[in-house]
Amino acid sequence: MRSVETNSSFPLSAVKPLEELASYREFCLSQTLKALQQGRRKRQISPVTHQPLEPCGETAGLEYGRCSQTGSFFLMTLPPASAWTQLLEEVNRFRHSPEAFHFTHARSRSDRVYLPKLEWIQETLRFQRLVSPAVLEVAPSPSDLMPLLKESGLFSKGFTSSEQDASKSSLDQEPVEVALLLEALDRSDDPEALLEAVRKRMVTGGLLFVTALVVSGFDMAVLGMNNLYWVPPDRANGFSLKGLTQFLTRFGFNLLEVSTPGVLDLEIVQAHRQRDPSIPLSVFERQLLESDEQTRMGFQSFLQQQGLSSFARLVARKA
Amino acid sequence: MNILLFGYGYMGKIRHAVLRRHPAVRRVTIVDPFIDPKMLDLDGAVLPPCAPVPWEEHDAAFICTPNNVTADLCAQSLRRLRRVFCEKPPGRNWEEFCQIDEAARSVPDHVLAFGFNHRLHPSIQAALALLGEGGLGEVLYVKGTYGKSGGSQYRESWRNNREVSGGGILLDQGIHMLDLFQLFLGPLTVVEAVLTDSFWKCGVEDNAFVLLKGGRGQPAFLHSSATLWKHTFRIEIGCENGYLKASGFLSKTGSYGREQLVIGKRQFEDEAFSLGNPREEIIHFDRDESWDKEVHEFLAAVQEGRPPHHGSLEEARQVMKLVHDIYAMTPVTQ
Repeated sequence: MRSVETNSSFPLSAVKPLEELASYREFCLSQTLKALQQGRRKRQISPVTHQPLEPCGETAGLEYGRCSQTGSFFLMTLPPASAWTQLLEEVNRFRHSPEAFHFTHARSRSDRVYLPKLEWIQETLRFQRLVSPAVLEVAPSPSDLMPLLKESGLFSKGFTSSEQDASKSSLDQEPVEVALLLEALDRSDDPEALLEAVRKRMVTGGLLFVTALVVSGFDMAVLGMNNLYWVPPDRANGFSLKGLTQFLTRFGFNLLEVSTPGVLDLEIVQAHRQRDPSIPLSVFERQLLESDEQTRMGFQSFLQQQGLSSFARLVARKA
Repeated sequence: MNILLFGYGYMGKIRHAVLRRHPAVRRVTIVDPFIDPKMLDLDGAVLPPCAPVPWEEHDAAFICTPNNVTADLCAQSLRRLRRVFCEKPPGRNWEEFCQIDEAARSVPDHVLAFGFNHRLHPSIQAALALLGEGGLGEVLYVKGTYGKSGGSQYRESWRNNREVSGGGILLDQGIHMLDLFQLFLGPLTVVEAVLTDSFWKCGVEDNAFVLLKGGRGQPAFLHSSATLWKHTFRIEIGCENGYLKASGFLSKTGSYGREQLVIGKRQFEDEAFSLGNPREEIIHFDRDESWDKEVHEFLAAVQEGRPPHHGSLEEARQVMKLVHDIYAMTPVTQ
């Protein structure tokens, strides 16, 4: 198995500036609460271990439960499946509207978020000697990545499917050699059904690419529910790195890569502290944030090396 | 398959462990006059000393012996069993390699592989995938350092006794690096070499500095050493569009460091934050499957009756020719 670290760096403001997050966050929360008016499904067990979830905090009144064995968080109350589908679509539409930072920073996000993902996929295909595979991307439509995937010429065919559509496995679906769940497990209302359906659609030996915001990472561990980037429906599920690896393994995947090549953990905590100086931090954390650039970069590099950044990426092979 | 395993030292134990796990292997018989069968929990798998070798009961042989008996045993095994896996080096010198070569020629349908497992290290395999059309373009140069600290028993080891080993650190570890150079650059020729025995005074080189060049003039530089007080394995591959640095590998003690591959992409001022400080990615590997892959590939070749994909006679010839040329052109100085 391998893990990857990177020395590439970019500021938080280039991809998801905290000061421009408010409108998106408000929209996500209000739409989630609205969807819950259509009905409520209670989630009481961890999708990873099937053990009972322990209430562990809330974001704007939306309660999360903790999987005690893995430290993963899961939204405990969900709207009906159809309302969840609609919610993800609405949020995706908002992301493409001028009110969202995703739209205003589209170019910068393409260079710093999507192109590195494409490079990662390309290199992994080379390492695994997989040529011209068919790819399934699980993402709400329109996908920002699919045009880049098609343009790359790496794939013989490309399919995009929403989390909900992808969760419904059907025998007449064309099999794929590669599946991309880029933050899709974070926002699925039923990650088990999603992964099982994707697994069924993949050929044996096919490669699964997963990215996720993991709650075992530094900024999530320090800020907890105070992390303003932690908002449903995008973050209905907060796997820990341990939880995510267990989850994939349980569904018959062999792990080829488990990395946390995040570059923004310290900056995210710093940005929250600047916005709200009363955020509780330990003496050590304050010392770290006030240290010189070299120390902060060294610490971020340590987080990457030890699987402790909150941005996780994994590659697994269907056994 | 029933396997004869000659030699139960460091390498023999590694091969034995892999063979025992392989589903096609029924029995492994260890032939090593220097081990006491009663001292080891090997289920009667050790041939008693002085007992004749039961060639007819076996399908293939693994030669994991000290270098002074390698060539004889390899040649004999080829003639008796046709299927042989032989540890590096393939003999103590060029003449002994030729003895193996001659035996192989006399058995046309042989399956013969040599143990150059470094080719199958994950960092090396990943590096190979990135060269050429993998994105980094043609290789411009290769530079490798491979060395160990020696240790208090260094002078007593057969590896440093010329009679037994045939050479010093170059033939012991450096040969792996020469093999990797040829993997990346194709056949090489020796330009210059300096061999010294300045610390251990065993009568074999404890340091080898070798300059080589490829078919298109690409330079390669090797430092093989028994006086690197920190165990080191590092290979740098300079390419048209970037560079690769593979280092460390998983050993029992972890003394060579975590295996990793640094991938750097060439970036000038217009792309990078500052010139000469390009974006790098570091891949860490925590599993070394090279031993398994090497043995599995050999056994697959035996089962399918085809030449093995790794460690071929031709690759062994090329690397032994380099070693021969280096020793021929350069006396060991103190």
